[in-house]
Amino acid sequence: MPAVWLLRLIFLAWFTLLFAMLFTTSSLSYANTAFAATPETGSITSTETITETSSVAKVNSVLISNNSPIQTKWSTGETLGKNPSVYFHAWGGDPQINSYIQWLAKRVKQEYNIDLQHVKLTDTSEAVSRVLAEKSANNHQQGQVDLVWINGENFASMAKYQLLAQGWVAQLPNFWLTNPKENEAMTRDFGLPTQGMEAPWGQASLTFYYTPSINVNKPKSTYQDSIRHAPKNISQLLTWAEQNPGRFTYPKPPDFLSLSFLKYALITLNQHQPAPVKSGLYQAVTKQSQATLLPILWTFLDKLHPYLWHQGRYFVASGTALQRLVGDGEINLGFTFSAAQVPAAVERYNLPQNTRSFVMQDGSLSNIHFIAIPYNAANSDAAKVVANFMLSVEAQAKKQQAKIWGDSTVLDVSQLSQQEQLLFSIEQQHPSALPVSSKITALSEPHPSWSILLTREWLKRYGAQ
Amino acid sequence: MSSVFENNSLQIKNLTIMRQQTPLLSLNETIKGGDVLTIMGPSGSGKSTLLNWLTGMLPKEFQADGQLYLNDANITKVASYQRNIGLLFQDALLFSHLSVAGNIAFAMPKGDSKTRAIKISQALSDVGLAGLENRQPESLSGGQQARVALLRVLLSQPKAILLDEPFSKLDSQLRQETRQLVFEQIRQHQLPVIMVTHDESDAIAANGKVLHLKTPQQDI
Amino acid sequence: MSHKLTSNSLNNRPLKDETKLLDTLFSTVVKFSPKLLIAILILPVLGGLLGVLLPAFGWLPALDRTQFGLQGFQQLVQTPGIAQMIGLSFFSSIVSGLLAFVITLLLLANYFDSPWLARIQRLLGPILVIPHAAAAIAIAFLITPSGMIARLLSPWLTGWQSPTDWLLPHDPYGISIILGLTLKELPFLLLMTLGAIAQPELNIKLQAQYRVALSLGYYPITAFFKAVLPNIYPLMRLPMLAILAYASASVEMPLILGPNTPPTLAVAIMNWFHDVDLSLRIKASSGAILQLFITLSVLFTWWLLEKLTQAISSKSLSNGQRTYGDLFWSKIINIFTLLLIGFIALALIGMVFWSFAGYWQFPLALPEQWVIMHWQSALLQVQTPILNSLSIGLVATSIALILTLLTLEFEKQNGAQLSRFSSVIIYLPLMIPSIAFLFGLVWLQEAVHSKATFINVALAHLLFVLPYVFLSLATSYRLLDSRYAQVAASLGASPIKIFLQLSLPQLLMPIMMASALGLAISFSQYLPTLLVGGGRLNTVTTEAVSLANGASRRTSAVYALIQMLLPAIAFSLIWLISMRKKRQKAQVKLNNKTASYITKVNR
Repeated sequence: MPAVWLLRLIFLAWFTLLFAMLFTTSSLSYANTAFAATPETGSITSTETITETSSVAKVNSVLISNNSPIQTKWSTGETLGKNPSVYFHAWGGDPQINSYIQWLAKRVKQEYNIDLQHVKLTDTSEAVSRVLAEKSANNHQQGQVDLVWINGENFASMAKYQLLAQGWVAQLPNFWLTNPKENEAMTRDFGLPTQGMEAPWGQASLTFYYTPSINVNKPKSTYQDSIRHAPKNISQLLTWAEQNPGRFTYPKPPDFLSLSFLKYALITLNQHQPAPVKSGLYQAVTKQSQATLLPILWTFLDKLHPYLWHQGRYFVASGTALQRLVGDGEINLGFTFSAAQVPAAVERYNLPQNTRSFVMQDGSLSNIHFIAIPYNAANSDAAKVVANFMLSVEAQAKKQQAKIWGDSTVLDVSQLSQQEQLLFSIEQQHPSALPVSSKITALSEPHPSWSILLTREWLKRYGAQ
Repeated sequence: MSSVFENNSLQIKNLTIMRQQTPLLSLNETIKGGDVLTIMGPSGSGKSTLLNWLTGMLPKEFQADGQLYLNDANITKVASYQRNIGLLFQDALLFSHLSVAGNIAFAMPKGDSKTRAIKISQALSDVGLAGLENRQPESLSGGQQARVALLRVLLSQPKAILLDEPFSKLDSQLRQETRQLVFEQIRQHQLPVIMVTHDESDAIAANGKVLHLKTPQQDI
Repeated sequence: MSHKLTSNSLNNRPLKDETKLLDTLFSTVVKFSPKLLIAILILPVLGGLLGVLLPAFGWLPALDRTQFGLQGFQQLVQTPGIAQMIGLSFFSSIVSGLLAFVITLLLLANYFDSPWLARIQRLLGPILVIPHAAAAIAIAFLITPSGMIARLLSPWLTGWQSPTDWLLPHDPYGISIILGLTLKELPFLLLMTLGAIAQPELNIKLQAQYRVALSLGYYPITAFFKAVLPNIYPLMRLPMLAILAYASASVEMPLILGPNTPPTLAVAIMNWFHDVDLSLRIKASSGAILQLFITLSVLFTWWLLEKLTQAISSKSLSNGQRTYGDLFWSKIINIFTLLLIGFIALALIGMVFWSFAGYWQFPLALPEQWVIMHWQSALLQVQTPILNSLSIGLVATSIALILTLLTLEFEKQNGAQLSRFSSVIIYLPLMIPSIAFLFGLVWLQEAVHSKATFINVALAHLLFVLPYVFLSLATSYRLLDSRYAQVAASLGASPIKIFLQLSLPQLLMPIMMASALGLAISFSQYLPTLLVGGGRLNTVTTEAVSLANGASRRTSAVYALIQMLLPAIAFSLIWLISMRKKRQKAQVKLNNKTASYITKVNR
């Protein structure tokens, strides 16, 4: 019978343990945070050892030799505590960007012993919702979002409800490498002043990509040949769509890329208007500016929609879904904000080999994307250390490499040392990448209120058919 | 109902049932209308396997060799639902989702509902269950259930009947009565019957030929 | 206690008193467990509902809205296309539920008492454990203009050199949603029904009654519908209602397969909750309340349909008709089954192809290159998610299993089933659309500053695992022949001994099935993991869904396949064990009765 007894005891011990777990969630939370935070060490059982052996990270180890004016202030920062974790909430739909963030995590672990956790969002607004939920529940100190990748409407929204920590950006030594005094764009997000609530991380402009329908492999055909039949401006886009029905579409608002397309159309369609009228785009929407600027967009879309994929009765959810349609050969023309994604997708077989990137001749919407720290972040000090590292020459140069991510740096490269400048030089070009020689006419982002208006009006017109 | 009673017969020709190449039983019998063939034997001797073969529901692990004739028609390969062989088990197996009348009507051929209802009432009162049409089967006693089950089989107008330990769940008084009723009704209809039973007294009451199946010595 | 034990050991009777101690402990735990079970289920759901009810009526302090009002509902009514959203949610769930139900019945009717039933069950079983998102992706790939079906037919039949622009998936009528939901619900309903009727006593009765019907001349399909179905429908009702409730409020399927001008209500609510315009929260909460009513009305409609069918068909059950074109229907069902299995197989093959595909231009039916880079890069990143999936699944399933067993033991010891109230509560998380209470639940968690992410997620999974485990175990446990326990008790066995040595071993297979099901349910949870875990705990499913929205069909195919493999391992373990048990039994049988012969005895 001893075996039976043993079984009974194990059984009893097992469910007592489970019951105990149920009632003492709080006491176990410590161990669990450690558990959740140790993917790299890979050991579940030895949570205690991990926390004990972890060394103390100090902010002053961040100090990098540069001539930033606030160096002294930064270096006197206090200790970060044991083994700090930073939960970085960032869109997780792109494997390339995800692995870049993994590289960041590896580096900040090495340098500062910080556990950087990438919380992969399908939409950045999820993080906004979370902080909002925390605020409504009076959780003002222990927020789960430490760092968030953000810009545009999400930033405007968080700023409006005061969900972001203020004035921390200027404390980052590396922020000064962006040369913010000369480069006003670094402190403006879609026209709104950032007020030290977010640090620039990268910049991008709207890039189109095109796959000729008939796939005859002509290796000798030049770049210009390959994109000869692609539309080059907004009016050609309409003609092209009419000639190739069902071969183009754009995502549904309020998707970020969708709004970018609508804003591109809005700006270029109003190109002929007098300057005072056009300037309405960069100010909060008024009844008057709405009445003068919007109708031409709706006329355009009314003409365009019948020739879209699925006759404009279904719109894909995101830019990545758009890319998949091009990859499947269902449409021939797509667009993106991360131009480097195109050659990378070709390399991973997700886009056909004959894909070519180009920018519209009548202009290309450009913007900067940022990182912000919520007002209630539990690990805001460590988050600042991470943010500072993300702005370092090393991290920015790595990010700009086409094979890594291909996201343009926000640093003022001309101010760097020659050796550092070399890090940003361009390697050999992929045939599907946007040629370096492309002439980009940057179009600035309209005021964020236009995005909200466009979304609402679009949904009213086309959201229910 | 078969109109020519004299022709009613169930014939088992040169039957051998095997289980994985081991012969389980072999049989060669003819049962005439109104006769009862009683098969006795301990459990595991192949009684239920035989019944399964007769109803066309032999499980896959058995192989059977032989022919089955019902009223001179070879039904060996006929699907079980087209054999016209009625089954009566030790459990009444009445459908709990149907009333007593519903259970019997279920078995009767399609037809005018009034005529069917009259037939059902008639049959119920024949076996002493008059007026129980709308009762639920669970509310009947064991003996009553057994009688309803019998009516169900008989009114389905079978050409032969198989009895699988039909009385074993009834107490002895009830058992005698029910048995008498069953054999009476069967003889009235002039149906060939095969009965499988444990009980010697069933065999005696059946007043027909008795076969004993035996478990042989185990092969080693 | 220690003193007691010492004195006992002096008396040389340690065993007996330890037994007593165990018995007391056991009976306390047993007595307590139903209450605990109810609390675990009811508190989060009600709390979560409260968390959307308040904002629905305008109370959202975070936005400085502290006045109650109906503006949320007013906004909701003014939403363009709201009627279409409601209609789409309502009809796609009713129609898909009805289709799944009818197909389940046809399969059961045609293959009842045939080895094919088990085979079909085995073939469809894997679908059960494919998360909705992965299934939706696989189906989308089949029916999309550049999909497998179009590729197989092009260009030789259709003449298409590039994908033609037809409206599937994402059609405005919800046909694609219905297709996806039906295919996903069918295996669930079939498996639940088969599980319920597999209980020995019931199974014997059903088989016998089926045979009675056959012997009375009923054709097999008619025999099933007239003699078997009325007895098993009560066992199908709850899974059926769970399916309908799920379908009416599911997010993943309509998101991937459905239209979006407008989408279904549940998808719209999800979008509003996530909208950058935070004031939409109020409208979203009102929408969640509306969703609740839609789900209720779907359930009510089903109940009406049930009553109607009963009223219409009750007469014909005993009208004596033996066949309704059974042979014709049987052929149709055979062909349909083949098509169904072919469809599913094609979807699975498509996923495998994608996961190894290099370039793959339309209309080629096979990829141009085969590469393993998608698997390589996925396997490098998937280890932590797999560990998370497994540990959450194991914790949630263990708790669910133990609570279920103890609650059922409580029932048995007290000789009464749970009160009607309690039995309704158990199915609460299945009947109440998760979108209606999960957002509130997150808010509630914030309110209590709970930071134990792992436990929170595991408990949230428990909400969905527990009902399924209970559903799949309760029937078996309740039908367990209580006479064994009585015999054992009369032989002096303690309740705990009976529980451990009698009830549990008898229920080994149902317990294994329930565990596998529980694991599978936990593996496939998306919304609870994402919302309650705040994205901090990545499971294979959250990864797969976020990649499903990504650009690479190939990577999402890899993740979908990994997702399928996890529960498949659990199920094949159980299959192996059951095969071993069967073989042992067969061996014993074979030894017992090798052969018998006949002796003729003349009277």
